[in-house]
Amino acid sequence: MTVDTMESKFRFSIKTPFHNSERIRWLRDYYFQGVKRKWNNECTSWTTGTPWDFQYDELTFYIVPETYTFFPTFRAAFSQVAHPIKLDPQFWNWSIVERRAWFLKEVMVNYLPQEILPGDLICGARFNIQTSACLTEAETRKHDKLVLGENGARQATFWLHNHGFGNCGATSGHLIPDYPTILQKGWRGVHDDLQSTYQNLPASDQKSSKGAQLKAMITSSTIARDLAEKYAEKCFALSKSEIAETRLVELTEMIKINQKVPWEAPDNFWEAIQALWITHMLVMSDENYPGPGVSFGRIDQYLFPFWQASIRDGMDREFGKEILKCFWIHCNTAYDSMIRTGGNQGITAGYGQLFTLAGMGANAEDLSNDLTFAILEVIDEMSPILEPKPNIRLHRNTPDAIYERVVDMVASSQGAPFLLNFDERSMAGLIRQAEISGQTDLINKSNVHDYAPVGCLENTMTGNDRSGTVDCNLNLLKAVELVLGQGFDLIPFVEPMTGKPEKPVRWGPDTGDPTQFKTFDDFWQAYQIQTKFIIQKIVEVYENSEAIRASYAPTPYLSCLIKGCAEKGLDVTQGGAQISFVTIEAVTYATTVDSLLAVKYLVYDQKICSMAELIQALKDNWVGHEVLQARALHKAPKYGRDDDQADELAKKVMENWTQETWKYKTKSTNRQFRPGMLSWNYWIANGFILAASPDGRPKGKFLSNAICPSNGADINGPTANVNSVGKVLGGKSTTGDWEEFVNLLPNGSSHTMTFNPSLLRDPEHKQKFKGFLKGYVENGGTALQINILDADMLRDAQKHPENYRHLLVRVTGYNAYFTSIGKELQDEIIERESHIM
Amino acid sequence: MNNIEIGKTANILNYQRLSTEDGPGIRTTVFMKGCPLHCAWCHNPESILQKQEIQWMAVRCIGCNTCIQICPENALQRNESGLLIDRQSCNLCGQCWQGCPTNALEVLGINTSLDLLIKELMKDEAFYLKSGGGVTFSGGEPTLQSSFVQEALQQLCNKNINTAIDTCGFYNQETIKKIIPFTDLVLFDLKLIDSDQHLEYTGQRNEIILQNLRQLIAIKKSKPAAFDLWIRTPLIPGITTTQDNLKGIANFLTEIGVEYITRWELCAFNNLCQDKYERLNLNWQFSGTLLMRRTELEACKQWVLEAGFPPQQVFITGASRVELKPEGEVL
Repeated sequence: MTVDTMESKFRFSIKTPFHNSERIRWLRDYYFQGVKRKWNNECTSWTTGTPWDFQYDELTFYIVPETYTFFPTFRAAFSQVAHPIKLDPQFWNWSIVERRAWFLKEVMVNYLPQEILPGDLICGARFNIQTSACLTEAETRKHDKLVLGENGARQATFWLHNHGFGNCGATSGHLIPDYPTILQKGWRGVHDDLQSTYQNLPASDQKSSKGAQLKAMITSSTIARDLAEKYAEKCFALSKSEIAETRLVELTEMIKINQKVPWEAPDNFWEAIQALWITHMLVMSDENYPGPGVSFGRIDQYLFPFWQASIRDGMDREFGKEILKCFWIHCNTAYDSMIRTGGNQGITAGYGQLFTLAGMGANAEDLSNDLTFAILEVIDEMSPILEPKPNIRLHRNTPDAIYERVVDMVASSQGAPFLLNFDERSMAGLIRQAEISGQTDLINKSNVHDYAPVGCLENTMTGNDRSGTVDCNLNLLKAVELVLGQGFDLIPFVEPMTGKPEKPVRWGPDTGDPTQFKTFDDFWQAYQIQTKFIIQKIVEVYENSEAIRASYAPTPYLSCLIKGCAEKGLDVTQGGAQISFVTIEAVTYATTVDSLLAVKYLVYDQKICSMAELIQALKDNWVGHEVLQARALHKAPKYGRDDDQADELAKKVMENWTQETWKYKTKSTNRQFRPGMLSWNYWIANGFILAASPDGRPKGKFLSNAICPSNGADINGPTANVNSVGKVLGGKSTTGDWEEFVNLLPNGSSHTMTFNPSLLRDPEHKQKFKGFLKGYVENGGTALQINILDADMLRDAQKHPENYRHLLVRVTGYNAYFTSIGKELQDEIIERESHIM
Repeated sequence: MNNIEIGKTANILNYQRLSTEDGPGIRTTVFMKGCPLHCAWCHNPESILQKQEIQWMAVRCIGCNTCIQICPENALQRNESGLLIDRQSCNLCGQCWQGCPTNALEVLGINTSLDLLIKELMKDEAFYLKSGGGVTFSGGEPTLQSSFVQEALQQLCNKNINTAIDTCGFYNQETIKKIIPFTDLVLFDLKLIDSDQHLEYTGQRNEIILQNLRQLIAIKKSKPAAFDLWIRTPLIPGITTTQDNLKGIANFLTEIGVEYITRWELCAFNNLCQDKYERLNLNWQFSGTLLMRRTELEACKQWVLEAGFPPQQVFITGASRVELKPEGEVL
């Protein structure tokens, strides 16, 4: 057999789904047929029928720079294909929020078809929609002036991106709706509460925006009831022509379930999953936004009573898993939004309907239960599949059974099919946030254990918290550039259409001629001033979209599911949530730290070059300065090596930017800014915008990712990498925020690590890996994504050894860096590594 | 680097964190420089000489020739095959590797102070404690720098860190007596039972090694909980993998007290160190030797079992050859 056929054989035989019933196999296979399916959940578009109407809201895509050039096309295309809705005669007399509530309900209940796939146990199929902005002509004019006009939101956003500061925009999703309340008292309970809140308002308030908000929410609170009733009718119609006895029994049950939930509270597991799904999918409809970050929270906790009840009443455990697996398939249909236009049939990793498993309770005890394990089985049996995204919480008291399951699943997949979240460090950050922002009544030591991550790993509280976790993405490295450029871009922005460089403008403060700086401290002072400036700048640009969304794009259905909105009579887009932050996610952290370290090493400590030479090298993108570049790359200290001196500067950078971030609030909605570190894909794309950096990186090469060390910098191995991450987050202290843990990033920080599969090759090594995770609890960050190295990466390492200097090959009695050994041996290891698991 | 700090120092090749192959749990393995044996198959040839050496790694070199310009002894030259090091002229002054912008030139063996080493080793304390791991002194041969190693082990013991030494067994018995009170685990290499062959392949006869192992067992007999003992045998095809050798070792172990041996690791041959030899301008006689088949490894294990060695104490480690069943699945 040739190597090639071996390769394809093994590539194909990597992790596959198993132990699934015929029903689930069919649904799963059908899903992956993509565009070949007869049925899909592709976006449909709906209009008030007015000539000025539009659907597409570009504000929510300001954080996706790849879409900037398509904004006019998207807006026109969705308008063009929009179906008109027959409006209520009173429609134009209502407030915007009431129009939006009514319009959503009308589309979902009376226009979109109800569909059920063969064998499916859960109702709720179509939810990807683009709905009318529901604005009058005058409102549209005003809105468009704010968005599209001179100095409008779009222009400011493009400027921020083009000049390498980052991006920002008021973005949908990224929160955990209050699903437990729906499961406890049904939508009827929510509806009744809203009614009484409205009726208790003084008459003057009833006529105010507060009254309008509540009326809109009351309308919204009946959507799920009416839609479920339609699905019950659909089940009834299907049952009429069903000949298979078993399916008939299921359909009959589904009629009953959908007649009851989610209006009434569920009593068993099937009802609870049905109530959860339809409530959840309508959030995505309300926001006109499929998926991103609309997260479930601690699903194994709030669903457990229903699981227990059904098991007690005789539900087969495997049937319980079958219901969950149907739910899994439904979550994945969010991707149908771009089934025909997106890459890979719209299935990207960019959606994050995250759910959380295990983790500690109020007394630091572990809360995992039989449902936790049932869900882990579902993940394993369904994987590889992208949604919903699991996050497993680990802590000091996590039982070995959870660790062992986690390690087994890491070992049998090409990487962990879940993210790991670490409770102590995460909770320390949220406690700190509560203290800084004066919200200890809402987050404190008695309830912080009920936190959960949203989207990828962004920690929030549940059911009452919108913390805009992806709304502001700031390149810290820009501050270094502005020091070197004395407030100017180091390289002028070139207009892509004309190819003309922009006339130089001093954007930032003049922090003095860097060639005249006498010490590194002078440089550091200037860096602090420029950091202050870039934070001010992103806060200022963000205000545009935040204010526009607050005035023109309410989401009254979602507001019903976020505590605080009803009480305040404010939409969630207006800061209605009890806990309402905007997160600045710092990008390029390690590149920034390493650049500062390199400036210190090259110019001040070792005097290898002058500041003028360094600046010239950066302007030349290191071309003609290769030896200096090599010294910056290989000789200068780096963050991520557990080198106390380097990590001390890294911590100073962390303290500096986080302290600065806490100083701001949005003007329009009074939301406090808070810090986090998540880089999504920006660390790659922004590498083409930001000029060469003193750490040796040329323009066009990627930046560092979230809190991870720069690629290739962590030459002292994984434990050193972990220790550095924990240290810069604040480490441990006798005056910790949670026990001895300190965490300067309440949002949390994304940390990705790559391991060689040989580290998990047998039970003995799996035990060692368990020890590693327990060590991570003590020394590491808030969240960890594990990759198990595959052959493709090794091949990439052959092509780009500079990115993989840290990659160790370990076999008994032998250790060596992969990149330091010869090609043939590398080839052999690649062959070996691709199969060893 | 040349700046020897006050206090105890030793010549250390490097230390490897998250080491998973040198004892239980997650460990840091300290590779000491210098070894009294010269095994023909040595996987860490850079650890044999106790003095410093320099090496050049082509993959890192950008060809700037800074090193050639710096070298005060004119010991460096470049031709089409790469950088040539005249190891006769080189006096290890350190200027070339310090000046090399990419670390393509590296020094092997760094004089390291005890305090600094202990500080570095303690950085992974949480990982040791949570995994049942600790620190292993390997090499080279750790007993060659015994007073440093003894003090390091003692300090680690005082901090409740699990300690191990990985030894070739060729040492002075007085040395081990000083070290053993601070050692939780001894990884003891036993390569060839026939002393003539041992001389041929390692440069030394094995009587001292066998005697030293008897001594360790004697210590354990008097105080069974004193330390754990693991035996390691590298499986070198055609040399240590013969039936005679493996059964001979098994018989010897049985004779001296198998109940005092926690495990015996049969370490599968690997050929990944070939480049290390090239970098040191050395030839390696095993460069063409293939990785072992699973059936060959199993046969080795079978022999030691036939000799009566308890099966639960035998482990094959480091097996890495990719093998296919006839239908193409991985074994």
